[in-house]
Amino acid sequence: MTTSYWLTNVRLETGYIQDEKGVYETKTELFHLKIQDGKIVEKQQQSFSIPSGENTVDGKCSLAIPAFKEMHNHLDKTYLSLDWKSPTPAKNLKDRLRMEAMELEELAPTTKQRASAMIDLLLSHGSTHIRTHVNIDPYIGLKNLEGIKTALEDYSDKLTYEIVAFPQHGLLTENVIPLMKEAMRSGAQLVGGLDPAGIDRNIEKSLFEVMNLATEFDADIDIHLHDRGNVGFYTVDKLAEMVDASKWHNRVAVSHAFSLGEVPVTQQEEIAAKMSKLGMSIMSTIPITSTLPPIELLDQNGVNVYLGCDGFYDSWGPYGTGDVLEKVTRYSELYRKSDERSLAQTLKYATGGPTPLTKDGEVAWPLVGDKANLVLVNASCSAEAVARTPEREAVIFNGKVVFGKL
Amino acid sequence: MTIFWLTNVRLEKGFIYENDRIVATETEICHLKIEGDKITEITNEIPNTISNQHDAHGQLLLPSLRDMHIHIDKTYYGGPWKACTPITKGIFTRLEEEKELLPKLLPTAQERAEKMIELLIKNGHTHIRTHCNVDPVIGLKNLEVTVNALKKYEDVLTYEIVAFPQHGLLKSDSVQLIRDAMKNGATLVGGVDPATVDRNIEKSLNTIFDIAVENNKGVDIHLHDPNTLGAFTFERMAYYTKESGLKGRATISHGIALGDLDGVELNEITSILKEQEMDVTTTVPINRATIPIPTLDKLGIRVSVGHDSITDHWSPFGTGNTIQKLGVLAERFRLSDEYSLTTALKYGTGGITPLNEKGKRVWPKVGDDATMMLVKATCSAEAVARRATVEALFFKGKKVESKLEDTDLVRV
Repeated sequence: MTTSYWLTNVRLETGYIQDEKGVYETKTELFHLKIQDGKIVEKQQQSFSIPSGENTVDGKCSLAIPAFKEMHNHLDKTYLSLDWKSPTPAKNLKDRLRMEAMELEELAPTTKQRASAMIDLLLSHGSTHIRTHVNIDPYIGLKNLEGIKTALEDYSDKLTYEIVAFPQHGLLTENVIPLMKEAMRSGAQLVGGLDPAGIDRNIEKSLFEVMNLATEFDADIDIHLHDRGNVGFYTVDKLAEMVDASKWHNRVAVSHAFSLGEVPVTQQEEIAAKMSKLGMSIMSTIPITSTLPPIELLDQNGVNVYLGCDGFYDSWGPYGTGDVLEKVTRYSELYRKSDERSLAQTLKYATGGPTPLTKDGEVAWPLVGDKANLVLVNASCSAEAVARTPEREAVIFNGKVVFGKL
Repeated sequence: MTIFWLTNVRLEKGFIYENDRIVATETEICHLKIEGDKITEITNEIPNTISNQHDAHGQLLLPSLRDMHIHIDKTYYGGPWKACTPITKGIFTRLEEEKELLPKLLPTAQERAEKMIELLIKNGHTHIRTHCNVDPVIGLKNLEVTVNALKKYEDVLTYEIVAFPQHGLLKSDSVQLIRDAMKNGATLVGGVDPATVDRNIEKSLNTIFDIAVENNKGVDIHLHDPNTLGAFTFERMAYYTKESGLKGRATISHGIALGDLDGVELNEITSILKEQEMDVTTTVPINRATIPIPTLDKLGIRVSVGHDSITDHWSPFGTGNTIQKLGVLAERFRLSDEYSLTTALKYGTGGITPLNEKGKRVWPKVGDDATMMLVKATCSAEAVARRATVEALFFKGKKVESKLEDTDLVRV
């Protein structure tokens, strides 16, 4: 994009103020942001008069916050855009997988249509980055990957994305490793994995094959780990050992990782220190039916934690919204983050890091030079946005309005 | 008497089975004749009169919702954003705050209460049970505000007001105030943790039930005390319910201890509660052990949901959206198949679901009050799981409309 414009009258946070009792409130002011080539190139107070002849778009006093990252989804599984259908009860994970296998063929012809409906939903809630897992399994082969790729390509001017090749029915089964290789050559960017103990029944071999694929294709890793308790903990620990050995720093994520919340705090601290050193990340969907990984402890120890909505409206689960901000609201409610600064700081889990203010109230976003990826919301500050999950007025990606009207 | 047809309404007709398992819900398009406050005809034939028709465009008709536990008298909702202050002394941090806060909020309290009622009707509610502070700080002033706000809406909803001694019935010496409240518009006697707050379980309960009997009113007590202490309080409450002849008129709010009990203990306490037809209200909290709602329901205890707070000095979270809350309830208890999702609706409607367990339509029927809502969904299960939006609400045959001036709608 070469044309530039001013996004006028946007509310930005400028610091914290304390009242006479020491209670924090957020100070905001109205600004005009000049956007050019997808970047914020100028940031001016509202009193600044915009040179005549320059394009303007009115932000209508909405609060601007950084755009969100949806870091765990399954675009290929949703029923969205099809008729309502509730999931069939499953006795266990194996049973669930058996039922999914039966359905994959039936869903395959509509993959692109269903994925597009999900992308629209995610985008309308403010996510301009999507990490999706895509089934690579003996039943569907690479068909879902093709559908997802074409769906995402259509949105390449509205968001960024990553596709994880996901061996949903096990990596060590049948011909899945050759299929995974095929997937990595056909557009998948990350190597996925699933429960090395629970599904693959061979923790070391499963992790080894994942690492092997990653090094062969120079790819990052994101594995699903639902395995509970110490077997899950051991799996993360063993993975960390392999990451260290392969020097795969800053390239490995573990999704779900309930088990990290099920070991004593000292062990949580040890694994957090290891993960931090290796730059490993955690992806959580903030379930309310399961133990969560110790997000705050991990964060304090330097482990990056991201959120995602997971697959939803599919054979696995009927509920969901596609709203990463609501995940942050839920996280805050779960952990009773209810004062101004605690609420405001949890926004980082939705944005993948940036918050308008640092904990000490320094302006950290948006700065001149930042990408113009932002969400306009009807709220007075980030804390309110986190607590109240307000409507999204507009979503801007690389300077372009990709959702909403301005 | 007003007569109109609500046409092209989607009604649930039955369940669809596959190998004896309910896999989907069958619906049909019907037309409802509304005369005065009642539904007087339900037909598949399109009515030949063209006047006085309201086209539902195939939207699903469901019973309207009830918020059975909220505090409309002390809310930040409708006013500027305010986060909570950090807690330093548990519940007492909040109680101390009220000493300053309640008088400060009083001038705008009615306006805020009305905005909260507006939010609730927007989300499909036609019944509100609100607790209202009655305490030495604010006296009966919040009650006056609550009564005034609700009176304005009595043509579109029914309501109950619980005189709530937030600062402790005995602890804050509020007995006379509660008695006065019962003569000034309160319709139920409230209470809070007879053990932890009042420090005298027997005297606290005895006084609550005395006031209830004097006024021929029911009781609704906040009980947060956990495990055996909570269970003991439930049991004593059941005893006083029986002694006072208030069977079917006593409610436990929150009932946190029900989430701590299991097996024999839970069966024992629920059979005691059931005998006195005591019911339970819950917010389906996600930040602590939730009471086992589907289990309580199976054991014959009526459970209803309420929002408690939308945003106030106790909590900044809350939506006033009961369909959403039912979705959270379903998620929390893994109610994900068609039938389980369908049944979740009852916790928000006072027990009414369109289909009974055999899949027979039991609502709406000719002769029922035309109190109902249209939602964007194809069946109850979908409405709960995917948070259907409420498109129209009817109370006793009348379409419910906002009473707010247009200018007020800007930031609600």
